[in-house]
Amino acid sequence: MADKSLPSWWTLDNAAKIFPSTGSAHDSKVFRFACELREPVDPGLLQAALDQTLERFPIYRSVLKRGWFWYYLEDSALPVRVQPENLPPCYPIYPAGRRSLLFRVLYYRRRISLEVYHALTDGSGALCFLCALVYEYLLLREPGRFPGTPLDLPYDASRSQRQADSFQTYYERPAHRALGLSPAAYQLRGERLPKDRLAILEGRMPLNRVLACARARGVTLTEWTVAILLRAIHSGMRVRDCKKPVVITVPVNLRNYFPSGSARNFFATINVGYDFSKGEHSLDAVLAEVKRSFQDKLTEERMRAQMNSLCALEHNVPLRLTPLPVKDAILRLANWIAAQGVTASFSNVGKVSMPKELEALIRRFSVFTSAGMLQACACSFGGEYTVSFASPFRDFEVERVFFRELAQMGIDIVLTANLPSEKEEG
Amino acid sequence: MLHCPKCGVSIWGSMRRCPLCQGPLTGTTEEDVYPLLPGEAKPHWLFLRLAGLLTAIALAVCTIVNCCFPAGGWWVQFVAAGLASAWLLIGVALRKRRNPMKAIVWLLAVVLALVLIWDRRTGFNGWSVNFVLPCFIPCMQLAVTATMRALRLRPADYLLYLFLCVAAGFLPLIPLLRGMLWTIYPSAICVGISAIALSALILFRGKALKEEAIRRGHL
Repeated sequence: MADKSLPSWWTLDNAAKIFPSTGSAHDSKVFRFACELREPVDPGLLQAALDQTLERFPIYRSVLKRGWFWYYLEDSALPVRVQPENLPPCYPIYPAGRRSLLFRVLYYRRRISLEVYHALTDGSGALCFLCALVYEYLLLREPGRFPGTPLDLPYDASRSQRQADSFQTYYERPAHRALGLSPAAYQLRGERLPKDRLAILEGRMPLNRVLACARARGVTLTEWTVAILLRAIHSGMRVRDCKKPVVITVPVNLRNYFPSGSARNFFATINVGYDFSKGEHSLDAVLAEVKRSFQDKLTEERMRAQMNSLCALEHNVPLRLTPLPVKDAILRLANWIAAQGVTASFSNVGKVSMPKELEALIRRFSVFTSAGMLQACACSFGGEYTVSFASPFRDFEVERVFFRELAQMGIDIVLTANLPSEKEEG
Repeated sequence: MLHCPKCGVSIWGSMRRCPLCQGPLTGTTEEDVYPLLPGEAKPHWLFLRLAGLLTAIALAVCTIVNCCFPAGGWWVQFVAAGLASAWLLIGVALRKRRNPMKAIVWLLAVVLALVLIWDRRTGFNGWSVNFVLPCFIPCMQLAVTATMRALRLRPADYLLYLFLCVAAGFLPLIPLLRGMLWTIYPSAICVGISAIALSALILFRGKALKEEAIRRGHL
């Protein structure tokens, strides 16, 4: 009896601590990884695959609960069911007080989508889960066709490694706080969609073409995409807005700097900006600045400093002793202040890899995240580079300039978009 | 596949216009990429809005009548306070509706506070501490037990709320010890029941209760 009454529980990791306080219907803090197969999805097999995958990721069975000082994750016995996709993308997962799992698995035609609440894990952790799910599904779908094909997850980790909070592992008290306010950035305007709707626009293009474009200018694909995005945002700015810089926040996977097998959050962000009031708008000028920013900020030293100052906040005794409702208010304010320094966000998940034998059965992967602001995400798979925009605005103004610029470079682009509602279709 | 000659991009799906420039498309449509969703939902809480309107009307009518016939005193303030109390309870119940156990604990606290305030503001006749407190608290203890049984909750989901309701059962001790009561029986019974419930809770679920407190209170 005693054991049954004591479910396991986990404190939220450093990055996750802000999400429950700041989520809202406008910005649900939910992101989606999708995998499009070549055949329609079989819901029964998908359910079986999900049950198997969950055994490897027990923390996905947890629910979020309110403590007196912090939120925390608690193991639950809630049933886990795959659902047909009939909600808007990235629909809120954690409405205050409702006890529900922090992720959902959806299927629509040939697509399997995993939507995850950010407090549970970050992009890298969720991608790992989706890859495992798709792997299990394809093995069930084609029994006997892939004997002895092991799933080579992006990182090898034991069960306890996957549940670990890597922020705690690498935290050392910084000598001095390095947090400062960034200057106010330009904010996009436009007619907004209803609060829980998102406009999704996805552009697919040949990876070798875009890589060639980026390499011809001596920059990485991420830097190249960020520069084009900066210019696309600038094209819609009024002259008097130009005195504010355009700033794009880029999440960085800390697993690339500090060895970690955690399937939970382990990321930091860097802000890359460009001040268009200087008068120089050419792609080369923006690229040079973006490249310099990335090189300056993406060093192990800078990453360690940022991680430590964020963790120091969490270890701050007066803040820890503040009751949760007050903390909610403080974190909401801090989040709002931080958002004033940012125009949009871009996250490159990089190359998604699956076992060679299975790749033939998969058409593509894509990723996007809910947005209080314009958010772009990119990933590549099977020679295709996919950039997905999720935006709370009704019109695709920035996206139009972005994709037209790419098209003018001679890149073949295939777009897909959602229609926010039936009314828009006519 | 569809094509937008102006933007120079191809479009996959069943769109009629280019999502970028809203211009016409050439080519053939494919199947939907995203399911078509129903339009925006109708405004919520129609019943509640109507009740709010009725409250405003009642309050306005009472104020007008009271102003025209001031002989009986300013009774409209009682009407206003009564309506405000009712709305406070409705608000708490709606806000906490997703977690019935939490809702019961909140309602218990709010009702006790309201009852004490009403008694005090109407001359402190003592009906609140003599009868309402010792009768209402056991009722809520019963409600919490029934709810956790009906919903088959796990200990982690009910222990804390159960403990709070049981602990509230000791509140009548305060007026009892300060000699404010003229009817002892209801309070004595309430405290007695709560003492038995608390011992049972500690003896049978003490460890889980401690774990739950550690979890909730972790820094």
